[in-house]
Amino acid sequence: MSLGRFLIKRTVHGVFVVWGVVTVVFGLRFLTPGSPVNAVAPLDASQELRQRIARDLGLNKPLYEQYFDYLFSLLQGDMGYSYLRGIEASTLVLGRVPATVELAVAASFIAVVLSIPLGVIAANRRHEPADYGATLFSLVGISTPNFWLGIMLILVLSVQFGLFPTSGRPLGLYPALALLVTEGAPGGLLRWLHHIFLPAVTLGTYFTALITRLTRSGMLDELGKSYVRAARAKGLPEALVRYRHALRNTLVPIVTVVGLQLGTLIGGAVITEAVFSWPGLGSFLIRSINVRDWPLIQGSLVVIGVSFVLVNIVVDALYAYLDPQVVTE
Amino acid sequence: MAARDLLRVRDLSTRFFTGEGQINAVESVDFDVREGEVFGIVGESGSGKSVTAFSLLDLVESPGQITSGELWYRDEDLAAEFREQRPEAVDGEFVDLRRTSERVRRSLRGPSFSMVFQDPMSSFNPTLTVGEQIAEAVEVQRRASTNPRSTRSRTQGYGLGRMLAGMVLPDSGYVDEDSEAQAVKLLEEVGIPDPAERYDAYPHQFSGGMLQRAMVAQALAGEPDLLVADEPTTALDVTIQAQILNLLDDLQAETGMSIVLITHNLGVIARMCDRVGVMYAGEIVERGTLEEVFEQSVHPYTEGLLGSIPDLDDPAPRLQPIEGSVPNLLDAEMEDRCYFADRCPKAMEKCLDKPPEIECEGEHAAKCVLAETEYHDSRRLPEDYFEEVADD
Repeated sequence: MSLGRFLIKRTVHGVFVVWGVVTVVFGLRFLTPGSPVNAVAPLDASQELRQRIARDLGLNKPLYEQYFDYLFSLLQGDMGYSYLRGIEASTLVLGRVPATVELAVAASFIAVVLSIPLGVIAANRRHEPADYGATLFSLVGISTPNFWLGIMLILVLSVQFGLFPTSGRPLGLYPALALLVTEGAPGGLLRWLHHIFLPAVTLGTYFTALITRLTRSGMLDELGKSYVRAARAKGLPEALVRYRHALRNTLVPIVTVVGLQLGTLIGGAVITEAVFSWPGLGSFLIRSINVRDWPLIQGSLVVIGVSFVLVNIVVDALYAYLDPQVVTE
Repeated sequence: MAARDLLRVRDLSTRFFTGEGQINAVESVDFDVREGEVFGIVGESGSGKSVTAFSLLDLVESPGQITSGELWYRDEDLAAEFREQRPEAVDGEFVDLRRTSERVRRSLRGPSFSMVFQDPMSSFNPTLTVGEQIAEAVEVQRRASTNPRSTRSRTQGYGLGRMLAGMVLPDSGYVDEDSEAQAVKLLEEVGIPDPAERYDAYPHQFSGGMLQRAMVAQALAGEPDLLVADEPTTALDVTIQAQILNLLDDLQAETGMSIVLITHNLGVIARMCDRVGVMYAGEIVERGTLEEVFEQSVHPYTEGLLGSIPDLDDPAPRLQPIEGSVPNLLDAEMEDRCYFADRCPKAMEKCLDKPPEIECEGEHAAKCVLAETEYHDSRRLPEDYFEEVADD
């Protein structure tokens, strides 16, 4: 089986998974008590008004009809209208995507850039101070709650030393880059970096700690394998043995974890987004749930689900690329 | 004229320092390997055969460590190199590798020593093509040829950046075309059909036998003087085993290299070896030429091993196993006596002292009091002697 066929297969899988996600998301509404009408109608609304609202929202139709309506409009990119704000849900939901993706990618970037070298150093200097330092760091990183770390960073770095802004996202990466390209002005990009730094560090710390551990133990595992001894036996210098041979195999499972984490970060950065008033999808979803704005809830969940599936396809492709055994199996 | 010695191993001990205590995996082992011969090391699992092999190439990994011994290797150039700076490490054309540096020992892997491992499937990197791994072995020697002791010459122009790029992009450029061509030639030499095509295959796309051939090709890349083959046929089907042995035989005849063949299979030893050492509990308990050891064996352990081979011409109703199993090699539990005594059907009072190595005729020697002629003077131990000692 070629890489191309492998990817087509994975994509077809992905389509079914997305379909499943949409179905569950649609069903959620009927599993939660209370009609959406209650969220829209005033408290003293008459029975007649309530019925009209239900009809406007399409709630009076049979379930299967509502389901297929939803499915087909979703296929056309239509997520319905926000119950409370009357604006197209897709505009609101998709408007939140860039901030979320920026934060997730920035956090992952910090994590990968820091953790893999750290894990490798720890493995290379097993039972030496550098190893204990890295292990301690990863233990602390894994056990530090996000909200506490975020608040501490704000208190120390922003409030005390004034190094970083406390919160907000004055502009996105795309306009910042556009500014750089069209006007040659790097100010926007710097501003963006300045604002995203603390939230990205906050979100990335746990992730860094996790991958440091995985890299360390994975590398130690690989270094104990027979092929490493064989590589030494043929006279390869230690650098080649460690980086060309062992590290390559260490990275295979790590790519999977990084991918899965990236998927999780897209919907799961709620706390960090809240602490830093970062206008992302996570905080948006929570707010929508609080006011039972179903089109927004469903839209957000579908976007999160689709992103997860997309990231996974990319990860599978990378995995197949790094580990040739995957494609043939 | 008798062949010259290529390697003289003296008093080699390798220990593992584990949480449970010190394990004496190899204890005070002596043997010689001559030019162009096959020296066999035979013993059951856990007797220290593989650790001996790793010790020869300085491939013992933590928590293991070679704790004593000398490895005298005959190499005129190396001897000339060290005669001035470390005269105590040189004896004629021989150099004691243990008294050289790690860098020197590493520089000998490939052009002087190389190794064929037990399980070919796990001894190739699963994420690189077999051809590239062989070409890498060629390349590293080609690069080292100008300055054999330097590490830098082996990585020149191939820094960490290119290594990392090589993980993401194909063709990372460590090996050049000549090395690739040489690798294809090596694959052909070891009898792999369509070598140019198989070059690009990954280890999991090979059968066990073909992969073991590829491993032999890899071991030949540096044109070694000594090939250490650690159970090269254990992981293979019986029919394939014979093919690999034939291959080693042919290659040895062709290149004149020496082979240290490690196996638990006495049939393999009988088929391949000129001289043989029998290992038990980290020691070589009997050594000599194949005939001496197999036909005039002195040590009851060797006799026991030979007695446990089924004979097709004279099928006995039951094979004669050696009772018990190899002792735990924890230093704390090793008493200063013959380690085989408590399994030995001929144990005597004398066996409670550690037997010295006793020379018999020719090259034959054994660590057993039975090799002495006056052993009759000693009293046999009662059969349940060790059980009673254990009860106390």
